[in-house]
Amino acid sequence: MQKLLKKLKEKNLLMTHVVIGYPSLTETIKIITTMAESGVDIIELQMPFSDPIADGPVIMKANEIALKNGTTTKDCMKIMKDLSCIVKIPLLFMGYFNTIFNYGIEKFCKDAFKAGCQGLIIPDMPIEEEEQEKFYHYCEKYNLAPILVIAPSTPNDRLKKLAKFAKAFVYCVARKGVTGEKTDFQKDFQKYINNVKKYLKIPLAVGFGILEKKQVEFVHKHAQIAVVGSVLIKEYEKNKLMGIENLIKKLKK
Amino acid sequence: MYSLPYKNGHYGQFGGRYVPEILMPSLIELEKAFNKYKKDKKFLKDLDDLYKNYSGRPTPLYFCENLTKKLGGAKIFIKNEGLNHTGAHKINHCLGQILLAKRMGKKRVIAETGAGQHGVATASVAAKFGLKCTIYMGARDVARQRPNVFWMEQVGATVVPVYDGNQTLKDAVNSAMRDYIADPESHFLLGSALGPVPYPEMNTFFQAIIGREVKKQCREIYNIHPDYLVACVGGGSNAIGLFYEFLDDKSVNLIGVEAGGAGKRNAIRFKGGKYGVIEGYKSYFLQDENGNTLPTHSISAGLDYPGIGPGHAYLKETGRVKYVSATDKEVLKAFQLLAKNEGIISALESAHAVAYAIKLAPKLAKNKNIIVNLSGRGDKDLFIITEALGDKKFYEFLKSKV
Ligand SMILES: Cc1ncc(COP(=O)(O)O)c(C=O)c1O
Repeated sequence: MQKLLKKLKEKNLLMTHVVIGYPSLTETIKIITTMAESGVDIIELQMPFSDPIADGPVIMKANEIALKNGTTTKDCMKIMKDLSCIVKIPLLFMGYFNTIFNYGIEKFCKDAFKAGCQGLIIPDMPIEEEEQEKFYHYCEKYNLAPILVIAPSTPNDRLKKLAKFAKAFVYCVARKGVTGEKTDFQKDFQKYINNVKKYLKIPLAVGFGILEKKQVEFVHKHAQIAVVGSVLIKEYEKNKLMGIENLIKKLKK
Repeated sequence: MYSLPYKNGHYGQFGGRYVPEILMPSLIELEKAFNKYKKDKKFLKDLDDLYKNYSGRPTPLYFCENLTKKLGGAKIFIKNEGLNHTGAHKINHCLGQILLAKRMGKKRVIAETGAGQHGVATASVAAKFGLKCTIYMGARDVARQRPNVFWMEQVGATVVPVYDGNQTLKDAVNSAMRDYIADPESHFLLGSALGPVPYPEMNTFFQAIIGREVKKQCREIYNIHPDYLVACVGGGSNAIGLFYEFLDDKSVNLIGVEAGGAGKRNAIRFKGGKYGVIEGYKSYFLQDENGNTLPTHSISAGLDYPGIGPGHAYLKETGRVKYVSATDKEVLKAFQLLAKNEGIISALESAHAVAYAIKLAPKLAKNKNIIVNLSGRGDKDLFIITEALGDKKFYEFLKSKV
């Protein structure tokens, strides 16, 4: 987690997202190194899953293709290990709980830590199930930051509870809905973020539907990290690594 | 309930609410509303009235005299849920949930469907109560259960075919959940005893009317002891509905029948499945070594699903319910046997339960009684059955119509 905590001392960070194994494992490595070289600050590596309920069509399709390519959880660990030696920026795993549950929760945390992973974003592992799963316990044991997700509809008493489990930063979903579709940042966005800040005294990331420079700038007025996902997959499909490099440079400028 | 303890949203280690944060507030609100109204006299009276006057309950418990004679063993009775309005037991939880949604001030319902029975029931109650309705259905199921798509549209629902994954029930559930994530002010009218808390418990509560009626009918009409209760298990709603009232009475044997499909292609969660957390709940799932769901197969769209309700996972492990399976072939045979001997056209899902009863009856003494849940009637399966039986005249008829 140290690499991540150190990074979080900087301002105006850009976090990007890739699906491991899309369009292939070798391309994933190139995409991640390109992102790192182009100035991205943090990358979440999504472990492909058959039923990614929080994801929209673009990321869903990428998951499907990655699985068709035969991508396994072991592949995910290996890519994490190889890349965390190559790139300097912190890398996180993103995924669905069943992937971890199947691998064995403690074993997963241990292997992820050994592979250099800094934290885990698992949107369908709520704190209410901790008694059963001991997921947050193992994150702590193996020095991984559990990145909690917060929504505009999260009430204050839940924010208070979530604050006890959150480490490093929290991921604020910009709006209702799944990943992909462009977010129209409204006035209540500021109210939402300010309210979250009352309860969570750690850096905030904002993601879902951030596609362009103007949105990144807007997010950075309110939160330390802007998260960009689906649009990079689309850009890759059109213009490959060059497209990713150019888009990131534009977003970071 | 001693045999099915429910604590903090779990049946033993199964169940739970593994959902993205965006859905948490809505599901907690739903759980609170359910806990309030399940004890509300007026609510229960309204529900009872709908059961009676909208759906036509109580459904008959019918003695299959001819079939019993033919098989020469235990007496076979059929709990005919197919005589419900809209043709299956699905209306039981739909009426309960729509009343709840109405009390909560909801304006729109979202649902998934496999065979289309839950979709038709949802669309119908939405029409009755004036709520907007969107139904997600796997594209393969749309193709094989076309009549139900038409009926859903006739009662005013929007039916959205889902082209992801295996294009069946599981993919429809995913799409319905994504819609719910985009519009958490809607009510997600989930159609079986599965999904995140409070769905398994709520669904069980609304379906338990089946077993309550059976108990009364056994006593008052036939004066018999129900020795065996048999039901098919997709997600598990009709089975738990029949079993619930009898769980603590060990003199009643409970049998759930899964879809045996054709050879390796099946949906037997309790054979090929292992623990998993998918679509918001922990249970048994058919999945590969990385935890990704596997494609399933059944002749019946309603049983063609890789997961199973968490209550059933618990009952499987304690051994209170015995789970078996019936193959597509056995199901077609059972369908025909029931039709020819009793003049009852069964849904293919329900014919799984019939198939097992047919195997079981000759092995039992004549003074034993088997109650089979006929969860639905077979009208919707017209196209599948005519094709499976290779009915040339029907094929000619279809050709003449286009
Ligand atoms: C007639 C009928 N029976 C059974 C099922 C299976 O569902 P469950 O196991 O929840 O009863 C369905 C589902 O579509 C159905 O339509």
